[in-house]
Amino acid sequence: MPSGALVLLILRVLRPGPLHGYAIAQRIHLLSSEVLRVEEGSLYPALQKILLKGWVVAEWGVSETNRQVRFYRLTPAGKKQLEAELAEYSRTSEAIQAVLKGA
Amino acid sequence: MREFIRRIGYLLRLRQHDRELANELDFHREMAAREGRDNLGNRLRLREESREAWGWTWLDRLGQDVRYAARLLAKSPGFTLTAVLMLALGIGVNVAAFGFFNLMVFSQLPVRDPDSLLSFQRRAPRGYASDLPYPAMAFYREHSRTLSAVLAMHSAGLIAENEEKPIRASFVTANTFLELDAPMNLGRPLEPRHDDADAAAVVVLSHGFWTRHFGANRSVIGQVIRLNRQSATIIGVASPDFGGLTMSAADVWLPIARQPDFIPGSALLTSFSDAATGVQMWGRMRPGMTPKIVEDELAQLASDLRKLHPNDVWEKERLASEPGGYLKMSGGGQRGSGTPESASQRLRPVFVLIGSLALLILAVACGNLGSLLLARGVAREREISIRAAVGAGQGRLVRQLFTESLLLAMAGSLAGLGLGAVVLRALLLWTDSPAWLDATPDWRVTLFAVTAGALAALLFGLTPALQVARQRHRSTRVRQVLIGAQVAASCVLLIVAGLLVRGLQHATSMDPGFEYQQVISISPSLADHGFNATQSRTYLESLMAQLRAEPGVTSVSLVSTAPLSNRREVMRVRIDDRKMDVHVNRVDPDFFETMKIQVLRGRAMAMGEKAVVISESLARFQWPGQDPLGKPFDEKRPIVGIARSARAGALSDPDAGEVYLPIDEGDWPEMQLIAKSAGPVETALPRIAALAKGLDAQVFPQVQTLKASFRRKLESTERSAAAVSLLGLTALLLASLGLVGLVSYAVSQRTKEIGIRLALGARPLHVMASVLRQFSWPVMAGLLAGVGGAAGLSQLLRGELYGISGLDPAVYVIAIALFLGVAILAALWPARRALRIDPLRALRYE
Repeated sequence: MPSGALVLLILRVLRPGPLHGYAIAQRIHLLSSEVLRVEEGSLYPALQKILLKGWVVAEWGVSETNRQVRFYRLTPAGKKQLEAELAEYSRTSEAIQAVLKGA
Repeated sequence: MREFIRRIGYLLRLRQHDRELANELDFHREMAAREGRDNLGNRLRLREESREAWGWTWLDRLGQDVRYAARLLAKSPGFTLTAVLMLALGIGVNVAAFGFFNLMVFSQLPVRDPDSLLSFQRRAPRGYASDLPYPAMAFYREHSRTLSAVLAMHSAGLIAENEEKPIRASFVTANTFLELDAPMNLGRPLEPRHDDADAAAVVVLSHGFWTRHFGANRSVIGQVIRLNRQSATIIGVASPDFGGLTMSAADVWLPIARQPDFIPGSALLTSFSDAATGVQMWGRMRPGMTPKIVEDELAQLASDLRKLHPNDVWEKERLASEPGGYLKMSGGGQRGSGTPESASQRLRPVFVLIGSLALLILAVACGNLGSLLLARGVAREREISIRAAVGAGQGRLVRQLFTESLLLAMAGSLAGLGLGAVVLRALLLWTDSPAWLDATPDWRVTLFAVTAGALAALLFGLTPALQVARQRHRSTRVRQVLIGAQVAASCVLLIVAGLLVRGLQHATSMDPGFEYQQVISISPSLADHGFNATQSRTYLESLMAQLRAEPGVTSVSLVSTAPLSNRREVMRVRIDDRKMDVHVNRVDPDFFETMKIQVLRGRAMAMGEKAVVISESLARFQWPGQDPLGKPFDEKRPIVGIARSARAGALSDPDAGEVYLPIDEGDWPEMQLIAKSAGPVETALPRIAALAKGLDAQVFPQVQTLKASFRRKLESTERSAAAVSLLGLTALLLASLGLVGLVSYAVSQRTKEIGIRLALGARPLHVMASVLRQFSWPVMAGLLAGVGGAAGLSQLLRGELYGISGLDPAVYVIAIALFLGVAILAALWPARRALRIDPLRALRYE
């Protein structure tokens, strides 16, 4: 999975509400009908990058197993970024579809 | 920008972030384990990869590199010490040189608001003068609306009790101390009321004079000091931090309104005449004014003044301004035709010369550093191949090695900064600079030292680092270039030092073109005492008659500028397109006899005759291939004689030209006397001095031997020769140390080969030659480059060499021989080891 796409997926699954790192991986896994598996080796570096960009902020919360853990929440800048990336993605994928069908 | 702030925030909470990340990863694993998935990934690596997103990895690595480098350097203190010392020498010399110029150019005078001070100089199409008449200054002071204050100063030598030489007095407008906010050590400063017509004579002592003359006695305030037999009450002692506005510090300050009390008959305060001595002028701009506005206003005032005094104010005269808040190198009393050279123009060759010499030392030091690092890199071959084997990339290795040299460079910079400050302090003491000049490095000097160190590391640390990391160190090219550059640089330094030393030698043994051993000069400064032409003439003629009657005095004559004095009168002679600044002297017919300056062709002009004599050097330059005899020198005066060149005005400059003008009526108050004695001058001096001082109690003539003036003139060259010789020897030492290192390295590298060759029966001499051969061409190439560089640089020195050619063969031969001698010794000493290699042990070695 290209790293740009991973960022898009993370931002998308965070839109309904804050999640912790493991839950993000789980959500992506579930929503993709268990096709996409996000390894921790790519998840956490990507999360750091998103933190740096200011698209999410980390907050302490309590996990379902009653453990203190960091939750990631989308910031207004992150929402804007998500919209922009979604628009860009659909434009690109339509274009690709068009080429694939037409060829 | 925000991203940058987040990055910084991250860096500040690095540990916390790290802990949180570790915690998060643990949690992830726990959850994964609960779902029965195992994860075997490396946790540490994952953490590092996550951290990389923040862009601070380089800092981590730098920290690692620095720690590692520091550990390694601490483990080989011998190497570290040598390298740091080497750099400290190279950088220290440069810091001292740069610091000196930094002080001269950038240090502002320790006075109130130096930025608003301007210093003024008279300029007109016909010439320039650094002094202006006091009443003209007063006129500008009264009418200027752009200046809030005007300061003026007139320097004079005064005779004080118990002082052998006249002391340096500054007669200043009495506002000077308060206007400049001059700090006082004791008592009170001069105040404007001290310039009132009925004020009593008061004096402020300089800190130096107070210490020297009064033994720093604190009870001097209120005491009376006698100067030129006049009393003045001491009201204060200035702080050592105050030296006035000029480079040469005064011994005492007196209110300028009292000047005629001390110089009887002086017309300083009343005479508009531009022939008489005047004052140096400074002004303080009102807030919001620019130098341009001030200059325009003063030019307008000058033309108003010209209407009142048409003969004394020049046509189109204006006052040119310079920033007044900086050290002024030149004193007053300079005048001439044309436009003056600015201080920066005059000093540029000196700057270039000293700068190049200092950089050469740095180059030699860096060359050594380079070879040291290279040799060390090779010695660390094993360590480096191990690091490469466990996965260190080439880039990382280079970075590691480079960090090491950066660390060395920083240590060297610091040590060099310290060394440079010490050298600079010594230099300032040596050159008698104002006490407030501070040798402590400022930000400019510090920046300079750090930059020099960093550049040294970059240039001389990077190449060896690359070579070692690529494990291609067996190439000798770099080492050869390094040694060549060192040889060239030290060669230049040796040759330049040799030229200066030889110039000095030549100066003490040469014939300067005139007699100075037997001549005494008497300078009564009659103009300062308000003597008019007739009075001066009477005074001088009776003094001459008395001198001639004195047994042992063989010849007496009149001159406007005594040879070797500090006075300079320069005239720009322009014929066709050739311009030459020649030294002007007004003389009587006996002058050529008294000074033993031969009139080669033609004759000396008679008293009062409208004719001139020119020097051979001027004739050669302005009338090449022609006979100037009988040609007009200017509209009124023909050339009647050609005298041998005599460098009386500029001892060290072989290109100087002279012109001798007849004495005009108006010149008399400016004239001085020279007298030649048959016996030793030292015995004649007291009698002549007594005679001169006894003639008129109101006049205080300065009497001195030309020998003493000659020695003083040589002092500055002696200093520069000593300094450059020291630099040259330092460079020689550094270069030979470098050579020792390189040769012994070459021997140790080839131990095995040499062993085999010796075992096979090679002759020891052959073996040694083969070791040394690789160094012969870089040394030769370096020598050639050095000779070329020195020849180029010596052209800058031409005016300082007392007529020695910049290509003086003896100097070059001696310098090269000295260098080669030392170089051969430096190479042979470690090369002997090659002969003592035991073939059996060498072969068994690996």
